[in-house]
Amino acid sequence: MSEFSITETYLKFLKEDPDMTMPIAAIESLVTLLRVKNPETAAEMINTIKSAANELTQSIPNSISLKAGCDIFMRFVLRNTHLYGDWENCKEHLIENGQLFVSRAKLTRDKVAQIGVDFISDDDIILVHGFSRAVYSLLKHAAEKFIRFRCVVTECRPTSQGEQLYSLLQEKGIPVIMVVDGAVGAVIDQVDKVFVGAEGVAESGGIINVVGTYSVGVLAQNARKPFYVVTECHKFVRMFPLSPDDLSMQGKSLDFTRKSDEEDQQEILRGPRLDYTAQEYITALITDLGVLTPSAVSEELIKMWYD
Amino acid sequence: MSQSEQEPPKELPAQDTPAADAASAESAEPNGAKKLSNKELKELKKREKAAKRSAKKQESGITIEQQQQQAQAKRDKKQQQREQQLQQQKEHQRKREEKNSQSKQKMKKSTLFGHLETTEERRATILALTSAISSSMASRITATGLMLPAVASALSGSQVPASSSLFSPIARSTSIASASNSNLAALSSTNGQADKSDITKTLAAVTLESEEFSVVPGIGSVIPKAIEHSFDSPQMVSSVKELLLNKDYIHPAIALLTSRIANYMIVGSIPRCIAMLEAFQIVVKDYQTPEGTTLSRNLTSYLSHQIDILKKARPLSVTMGNAIRWLKQEISLIDPSTPDKDAKQDLYEKIAQFAHEKIELADQLIIDNASHHVENGSTIVTYGSSKVLTDLLLHNAVDLEKSFRVIVVDSRPLFEGRKMADILRGHGVNVTYALITSLDDILRMSVDYVFLGAHSILSNGFLYSRVGTAMLAMSAKRRNIPVLVCCESLKFSQRVQLDSVTFNELADPDDLIAIDSKKLVDRDNVRGALLKQFSKERQEEKKKNSQEIKGNGKNTPNSPSAAATNSNPQEKTGKNILDGWQEIPSLNIVNILYDLTPPEYIKKIITEFGALPPSSVPVILREYKSSA
Amino acid sequence: MPSSATSSAATSTNNDINVSIEYFIARLKRRQIDDTYAMALETLQLLKRFISAARWNHVTELIEQIRQLADRLEKAQPAAFCCGNVIRRVLAVIRDELEEDLRDTMVTTAATTNTVAEPMISSMFNLLQKPEHQQQQQQQTQEQQQQQQQHKLQRNHKSKTDFRQVAIQGIKDLIDEITNIDDGIQQIAIDLIHDHEILLTPTPESKTVLKFLIKTRERSNRTFTVLVTEGFPNNTSKAHEFAKKLAQHNIETIIIPDSAVFALMSRVGKVIIGTKAVFINGGTIASASGVSLVCECAREFKTPVFAVAGLYKLSPLYPFDVEKLVEFGGSKKVLPHMDPHKRLDIINPITAYVPPENIDIYITNIGGFAPSFIYRIAWDNYKQVDVNVGQAP
Repeated sequence: MSEFSITETYLKFLKEDPDMTMPIAAIESLVTLLRVKNPETAAEMINTIKSAANELTQSIPNSISLKAGCDIFMRFVLRNTHLYGDWENCKEHLIENGQLFVSRAKLTRDKVAQIGVDFISDDDIILVHGFSRAVYSLLKHAAEKFIRFRCVVTECRPTSQGEQLYSLLQEKGIPVIMVVDGAVGAVIDQVDKVFVGAEGVAESGGIINVVGTYSVGVLAQNARKPFYVVTECHKFVRMFPLSPDDLSMQGKSLDFTRKSDEEDQQEILRGPRLDYTAQEYITALITDLGVLTPSAVSEELIKMWYD
Repeated sequence: MSQSEQEPPKELPAQDTPAADAASAESAEPNGAKKLSNKELKELKKREKAAKRSAKKQESGITIEQQQQQAQAKRDKKQQQREQQLQQQKEHQRKREEKNSQSKQKMKKSTLFGHLETTEERRATILALTSAISSSMASRITATGLMLPAVASALSGSQVPASSSLFSPIARSTSIASASNSNLAALSSTNGQADKSDITKTLAAVTLESEEFSVVPGIGSVIPKAIEHSFDSPQMVSSVKELLLNKDYIHPAIALLTSRIANYMIVGSIPRCIAMLEAFQIVVKDYQTPEGTTLSRNLTSYLSHQIDILKKARPLSVTMGNAIRWLKQEISLIDPSTPDKDAKQDLYEKIAQFAHEKIELADQLIIDNASHHVENGSTIVTYGSSKVLTDLLLHNAVDLEKSFRVIVVDSRPLFEGRKMADILRGHGVNVTYALITSLDDILRMSVDYVFLGAHSILSNGFLYSRVGTAMLAMSAKRRNIPVLVCCESLKFSQRVQLDSVTFNELADPDDLIAIDSKKLVDRDNVRGALLKQFSKERQEEKKKNSQEIKGNGKNTPNSPSAAATNSNPQEKTGKNILDGWQEIPSLNIVNILYDLTPPEYIKKIITEFGALPPSSVPVILREYKSSA
Repeated sequence: MPSSATSSAATSTNNDINVSIEYFIARLKRRQIDDTYAMALETLQLLKRFISAARWNHVTELIEQIRQLADRLEKAQPAAFCCGNVIRRVLAVIRDELEEDLRDTMVTTAATTNTVAEPMISSMFNLLQKPEHQQQQQQQTQEQQQQQQQHKLQRNHKSKTDFRQVAIQGIKDLIDEITNIDDGIQQIAIDLIHDHEILLTPTPESKTVLKFLIKTRERSNRTFTVLVTEGFPNNTSKAHEFAKKLAQHNIETIIIPDSAVFALMSRVGKVIIGTKAVFINGGTIASASGVSLVCECAREFKTPVFAVAGLYKLSPLYPFDVEKLVEFGGSKKVLPHMDPHKRLDIINPITAYVPPENIDIYITNIGGFAPSFIYRIAWDNYKQVDVNVGQAP
């Protein structure tokens, strides 16, 4: 067997299953790692996972939710080995049930949709920024329950997330229009509520998401429109950014260093791809654990890490 | 009859000394008057009885000397008794006064608005004034006052009309004069022809009263007792005195207007201004320049007297203030050589023109300016009742045939919005009516605009308007609903103000006592209040009387007619929880009329000069001032 | 089975209890019980009788019966949150006991290798959990069977936990708690008022607020002024009575019309509101229209708003749709006389929803909490499975 590369495995997982989210892919990769390496001792297992997780987060540029997945996995292993001492049992369980986690992740999304469907009522106009599987499954679920609502989707430049969501919603027969990112301020007064997904949910209860979420959050707050985050709880991550661009993995948010002319020509667009939206802009988080206030997120994280 | 003529003058000094002593003793304590006057009346009554008795005895053949001796003996006895009584009464009084003053200090004014004139104070002034002007009828609203004719009728049946007609000159003269002696002299000379016995009676009354009220000379007799305690501040007293002195200058049209404004029959700053200008037209028309002065000089001061009383109805609105300023300027510009007739005609027309330009034309322009905001299918929220807004909405609904929905928000206790809702509904507009407490739910119903009227716009951009406006503007602003104010530039004021507490108008707290949705005017408020005061006074009076009777052990039964009127059952006031709230020292009711909306809640102000942001108010003010 | 002995008597009491449930529901529907306090106590009394009369084979049946009762009450009057609240509290007590019982039996039977999972700390581990969901249920059913078998063998084991006893004790504790709520609140709230402070309260119907103000005046030598809004049209008489009572207790009281709130807010030190129901997002329903407006005003002026609420007012529900929560009354009180040809649309809300951002703190009988922490207090007292009593768990 050739040298196992955690990064490649991770990317392969993502490619193979479009429904798979990054944290799940990360967990799957780590499970695969365990299966391949099959560590002999608890210490070895922990070290293997640790280094692999590090490697993974280093090599992937957009590593927030990936980190969340690694964190949970790590924590789960540590708990089982330290507290209960049945690491062997735990390892077997993990190796055997790789597929189960994937299917569970999907179930989780359904649960989120079920919980969140109460937030959508007839005649709502819902603004969605960015493409999130959780948001989509919620909207789908609501449409299946014959709730009549309309959607405004932002273009979400420079990604094509807006188009992706637009076509999916249209397929579902949900009335939807797409606006450029800059139009959010202009239309926010007509919108009833805002839904966004999250790459990661920080300890403060704020979220890290595709760039533009912060602007939408501020505008929604200003217009006093509810701003809901739809996410699975395995995206909760131990981070505490202080400002919208305080995301270490991104590097400097405004980088003025000149590159070669060629590169400059190719890539005029610079700047952050993600931003952080603080908890004061968030009305509630709709998760599989129920509807949480931002402060409840930190409680969950605290419970996971301190014992 | 000749005997009885001689007797009273002798009697007067002898009998009055204790009373006068008492009066002077009590004059240190302002509240003593109330009680004493009652006693005085009884004395008066007794004296009359004595006179009658002497007349009877004379008929039955007893000599005058005998009579006098008997009378003297009786008098001596009575005097002793009376002195004892007085001692007792004084103690009673002192106790009661202590109680009164305690409760009075606490209940009168709330801590927050102590600096503002209360309705009660204003009303007292007006009452004092109207009673001074119109007739003696009003002066008899007091419990004691009413008893006077009652007593008179009981004693000298047929003389009632004579005596009542006598009261009016007395009332007047007391109100003007400050020294009782000169007053007396004047009176006796003018009324020389009248029935002597009646004169002496009334004279006695006058001396007694004028001495009683030596603290506030001249006022007490015409002001109902119940309101007297409002005059505890020296400023109040002096201002009232001044008004009373100038009362002859007051034009009936202004007096009528004053009472209508005070009774909230004319509300809204524009209607009040129009009514005032109309009244001024009459005043100008009727005005005659006195000898030795010119119209341009004297008319201003004449008008000032009118304005002084008008102010007492309710504080002048900004529109009225601006109009008055303009009018005075116009008067001062009149060439003294112009004949009075022409000048008066000129002024008359100018006032009409002013009202037309500044209000009617301005409204027209505002309506034109604001109409494009009233879109088909939109929902508009307004507050209270505004003339220009009613016109605007009607114009759009009727002339421009737009269909829209109006939500009229209203509040207690004036319920002005009902008028507006009724008018709009009458013209087929889709109207929703709600109270200010339901604002939260109203603004949830996809509202497009909030239109507000104004009482005034201050030079720092604050909107001074009906209380509650600020709340509506705030909630609308928080929900990103544009707030538009329609307002004539006549309403712009030079004043600056920072919060609603520093300057405001206090309405009657009693307006909030009844818990029903009836309109204020329907409740017949002002008169009702007076009536209540009156009945309350009667109750007190009755209590006092019975106390006295008990205390004296002496039988001085009230005349049957007085007793009959006394037993007036409680007024139909119903049973409100807060009836008698004045008695609870720490309970207060604050009923302010206006509040101040900060400029950041207002999107734009629509005037006849076009639409402008609140920050541009001083700009318009400067322009307006230079043009006027 | 405990019911076997009383089976004959049970039928008659069953009818009895049904009659009183129907009666209670009828009164709820007609809004004849206005006061949440009375409503909570009455619900508990009813529940006590219901449980005493109920018959079941296993506790789950009892739980199901109670849930059905809660569902009936909630459907009868969706705005009467406290009925559901107290019943859910009792359910939580029973469920706790059930868990304990299960664990005990497991220990006593020295159960099989796969024990009931590792104690779950964070539900975030759901994802990676061993697939013991199904197992667990199998286990449970097995255990139940075992238990039942055991019960047949040794009766005394079952009687170890008498759920009827547990439930009724739970109800008694709850009644105790509810009746002593004011004391608890006063303890905390008194220290929030300083001398010569001006307070404003828009909820004159709240007895908790009234008692607390009077107590504060009596117990501490603080003088303060209370502004009372009228709450026209639905609450004015209550407001007047409230003000009168305060004034009679020598508290400086000023009645103001609702419209004057903004004008006076700049002078107010604190706003005190009573509540009808508190939701897990920290929002509250107050039983007077206009309260939301007052709180908004206070927010605008940065005046602190504190809400007093007994624990039983805490509801595990989330206010999804505010418009469904606010109740509306008839038009009569707003506009008594209407021209029949020119009818106006009238709006008369009788309750108001105050969003959590307009409330600074909740004073409950167990302490003061920020609105953002209310969810935790709720989950301490309720079980998530009982939130939707209408749905099958």
